[in-house]
Amino acid sequence: MQAASAQVRPPLSFNINYSIAQPFGSVKDYSDKTSFRGWQAGLQYMISDQIGVGIKSGFQDFYERAPRAVYPTKGGDISAVQTRTLQVIPALATVQYQFTKPDAIVIPYASLGIGAANMNYEKYWGEFVDKDNSWHFMVSPELGINIPFGKASPLLFNASIEYNYASYKLAEITNFSTLQGNIGLRWHIN
Amino acid sequence: MMSAAVALTTLISLNSCRKDPLNDMTDEESRIYITNRDSTANFSSYATFSIVDSVAVASNGTEAKRALTDYDKQLIAAVKSAMQARGYTLVDKAAKPQLAVNLTRIDDTYSSSYYDAGYWSGWGGYYDPFYWGYPGYGYYFPSYYTVYYKERAVSIDLVDLKNAQADKQLNAIWNAMFRGSGVWDSNNINNMVSAAFAQSAYLKK
Repeated sequence: MQAASAQVRPPLSFNINYSIAQPFGSVKDYSDKTSFRGWQAGLQYMISDQIGVGIKSGFQDFYERAPRAVYPTKGGDISAVQTRTLQVIPALATVQYQFTKPDAIVIPYASLGIGAANMNYEKYWGEFVDKDNSWHFMVSPELGINIPFGKASPLLFNASIEYNYASYKLAEITNFSTLQGNIGLRWHIN
Repeated sequence: MMSAAVALTTLISLNSCRKDPLNDMTDEESRIYITNRDSTANFSSYATFSIVDSVAVASNGTEAKRALTDYDKQLIAAVKSAMQARGYTLVDKAAKPQLAVNLTRIDDTYSSSYYDAGYWSGWGGYYDPFYWGYPGYGYYFPSYYTVYYKERAVSIDLVDLKNAQADKQLNAIWNAMFRGSGVWDSNNINNMVSAAFAQSAYLKK
């Protein structure tokens, strides 16, 4: 029975999710709006019934347009409509622990992603942009559930919530901190 | 694995779901009004000013020409009344004004070169010192930070003539620069000039 259980679905899977992210702290001060423009994808290999390792990436776009205001500079002032954007592309290694056996109706899990994120900072002063593109350490704990479409189905519904932290300091941003919700599919392919 | 590759390709194309900041930007939103000041200048120590009778046009890095279009006339009038509203007295340039106002329209739309020397030193002072009766004097513009552009812009430079003899140079003590779409449109002159003076409350007699 143990062996049969291990064969519920193939060990290699990929997932694709739609993502929403809420910025916190200095990122929120920079760009206040919840981001509805995001996705996430990953590959994972189950090394046992309940433990998987993998990689994940994605994309999230933060955007806010601030009405015209006067900003002090080193030698004077600038009046501008600021459009503050940040695009984040993580590249993380993941380890996941599933709290149930793979034949469960609902498979809750916890995972941890560690790696780097590409931060593309573009702050527009009117139509003029201040920009910076750089990579930073990122850590991303995640809690989620997988719900198979049928007991041994290779296709699973996936929903998760994750916290993202990156040691990112640039201009008004002192660190990167967001809470992200994901919904999508996981497919065991091989 | 094939399906994974297809999925990955799809995902990469999703990168275009980024919201484009320039897509829905109006001309008004595109414009920025930059002012810089000499932090050592005492603006209330000046009483009189004179303003140029035409506007210098600096085009794509070539020698500046002077022009007096309807736009230029309105710009001169707007800056003149803004200075008067701040308590400075307009005098003829022959009457030894303490401040000189230079106006420059910058047209760098066809040039792809970047200006990294600071825009004050790059563009300010297109009015030659002869105009103000200071032949041989150089303009000095403090370069606070770097701006580069490929665009049209307008620059207002306030030059200290009061201390020119002592310093042997013409120091700019204040500068305003209008950048973005529509800065050469005369309908925007009053808004731009008002904004520059409004954010420079220290600029008064």
